[in-house]
Amino acid sequence: MRRESEVRIRCLGVLTAVMAVASLAPLPVAGQATPPAPDTWTPTRTPWGDPDLSGIWDFRTLTPLERPSELSGKEVLSDEDAAEYERETLRALDKDRRTSDGLTAEQDVRNAYNQFWWDYGTKLTEDKRTSLIVDPPDGRVPPLTPEAQKRADARTEALQRPAHGPEDRTVWERCILGLNTGPPMNPSVYNNNVHLFQIPGTVVILTEMAHDARIVLMDGRPHLPEDIRQWRGDSRGHWEGDTLVVDTTNFTGKTSFRGSGTEMHLVERFTRVGAETLLYEYTIDDPKSFERTWSAVIPMRRTEEPMFEYACHEGNYGMFNLLEGARVQERLAEESARTKSK
Amino acid sequence: MSGVTWMRTKLTFVVAGLVVVSARPAPAHHAFSAEFDADRPIHLEGTVKKMEWINPHAWVHIEVAKPDGTAETWMIEGGTPNTLLRRGFTKKSLLPGTKIVVDGYQAKDGSLKGNGRDLTFPDGSKLFMGSSGTGAPNDGRDPTEQKKPKR
Amino acid sequence: MRNRFQGAAVAVALAAPLTVISLVSTPRGQPAQALQAPYQAPRTADGRPDLSGIWQALGTAHWDIEGHAARPGPVVALGALGAVPAGLGVVEGGEIPYQPWAATQKQKNLDNWLASDPAVKCFMPGVPRATYMPFPFQIVQTPEFVLMTYEFASATRVLYMDKPDFESPFDTWMGHSRGRWEGETLVVDVTSQVGDTWFDSSGNFHSDAVHVVERYTAMSPDALWYEAEIEDPNVFARPWKMSMPLYRRLDRNVQLLEFKCVEFVEELMYGHLRKQPNK
Repeated sequence: MRRESEVRIRCLGVLTAVMAVASLAPLPVAGQATPPAPDTWTPTRTPWGDPDLSGIWDFRTLTPLERPSELSGKEVLSDEDAAEYERETLRALDKDRRTSDGLTAEQDVRNAYNQFWWDYGTKLTEDKRTSLIVDPPDGRVPPLTPEAQKRADARTEALQRPAHGPEDRTVWERCILGLNTGPPMNPSVYNNNVHLFQIPGTVVILTEMAHDARIVLMDGRPHLPEDIRQWRGDSRGHWEGDTLVVDTTNFTGKTSFRGSGTEMHLVERFTRVGAETLLYEYTIDDPKSFERTWSAVIPMRRTEEPMFEYACHEGNYGMFNLLEGARVQERLAEESARTKSK
Repeated sequence: MSGVTWMRTKLTFVVAGLVVVSARPAPAHHAFSAEFDADRPIHLEGTVKKMEWINPHAWVHIEVAKPDGTAETWMIEGGTPNTLLRRGFTKKSLLPGTKIVVDGYQAKDGSLKGNGRDLTFPDGSKLFMGSSGTGAPNDGRDPTEQKKPKR
Repeated sequence: MRNRFQGAAVAVALAAPLTVISLVSTPRGQPAQALQAPYQAPRTADGRPDLSGIWQALGTAHWDIEGHAARPGPVVALGALGAVPAGLGVVEGGEIPYQPWAATQKQKNLDNWLASDPAVKCFMPGVPRATYMPFPFQIVQTPEFVLMTYEFASATRVLYMDKPDFESPFDTWMGHSRGRWEGETLVVDVTSQVGDTWFDSSGNFHSDAVHVVERYTAMSPDALWYEAEIEDPNVFARPWKMSMPLYRRLDRNVQLLEFKCVEFVEELMYGHLRKQPNK
């Protein structure tokens, strides 16, 4: 497989990811001087001298978070295989397919609505990786610890039963955070957009879903006290060379990222590697929940299109419907049980 | 097993000669199976009364004529309007009085609500666009797609 | 500060007619400061007054934007802490000029406040109410976009600077904001708001035709003067205006915290649909 450039990405642990991205400038390794960019893009800077990451970034991708087990060992796809993967994934994801295509009614309901409402992109990442996760090398989320597994099982149980209350549902069905807000941000089915704002001493990460502005303070102050917890944690930032490093702690535990808990220490890195490309990388350090740290890399593409308001709670008929539906189904089941016993 | 809150839609396809069962990165984005009943499919032909351009899901209110001559109003759930906006559609794209056909499933509580599993015009063309089937707004593959909004 | 003498010269030229007016009557809501040399905020890198920071309104506009005596609140158990404090009001001229039908509707809203006020349900407050909720908000000012993020409900809006032709394709809870500078003042044109938000907890409302023009002007290093002109031909007999100061939060280590209130209203909104309703 051809590579156009080889880049080292520095995470909390040392790892190497080989990326074939056109016009990709070598990334600085923490602690070393920035190597000269071999190609034409000159990094832009804010008036006060920081790398300019501002603007709206689109992080749609077909690349799954985890490497499918059938592709284990295959870190990257060839050009032909990648094209086939994209084609096949889009075909499999096509919501226009109905029960006549072999879907069950349950699957048909889950597909929700026509294809024109969906927007997960049409391409894998440019480097054609088979997973967004780059560490561990198998491209999969590490096993959960027993206590994290218990929490995850409880959440699954709550989701699979007719909801007892709103707390049984996911944080995005409750409209508290969005599908792809995280933190960390992760591509999902639509509205994969984020707007970064930069002023001296502050960076703001505004995700479209759900109108959430995560304020990253850069003045060196410590995190919030231990006993103040937030749904999206508490973020502090600093620069390492040309990389914005965002450190987030103080999570509530009322929501979870793939099994994470209150002690998650999230490190995100933002590096502008081209005029149109922002490299977003996150590392989850949560030894109480995962057997080891893990990291993912998601390239984001600059867009000139605006973000739109995603006012979720204000229009959340769905929550009423699913709770009402659950109660009606229970009543019907009780009535039919009573009738049977007569 | 990790990722248990992220209900996986298993996709099976062939890539590079391998049968791949891929776990989609997307979680079960919405509890459609919790809201709508797979045992109650509906097929409605109605007239648009209004459309609520709201998140998390847009709702189309339609009037359906019953055999006895009276009319019922149904609420049909769609997706995020933000995607429609990115395809260049606006509030004027679906005006009251338009005839549409809804294939979907009725709400579990028996009310006159359904998910708009498939929304089409009476001639069979997809509502809002001739679907290129790729899920890509404005990717150039659909000649009927309108311009996207610009800042 | 820079430009002090230029500023003073301009101020003297402007102050003369203002001084004359002030001898006749004090324009309601005009800060005394406007009659002296206008304050000039420090500049951003692109030469604009820098309004970035954490701000918050004081006073009782969030209870009732019109002047009002103190009155009991609707929740008896809250006692004094649930009662409505008095306020001089922030509406210039005193009264909101409702059309007759709208005045009746306002009274209905007030009488049913607990059930009808969208903010009780943690719905985003819209503009201008978001400005004077009793919560801080943060301005992050860049040349092309100004972000305003409100602690209440994590409501957020982006001001698109110098794009007068950029229209919004649909109505939103926080409206569509287009900003521009007029000297020291950030002027924001807010259109395409849904008609579901209120101005306060006293039932003052508008329709989806509402058009708001805001003006933010630095008064001093730690205060802004805020004005909002409201126009809505469906509801009001004529345009009207409110104004008030906004104060910089000076607490040590101040930062916006989370008030994701959806969690706090789930019992209110969905409690009756629980499998085991809470007693």
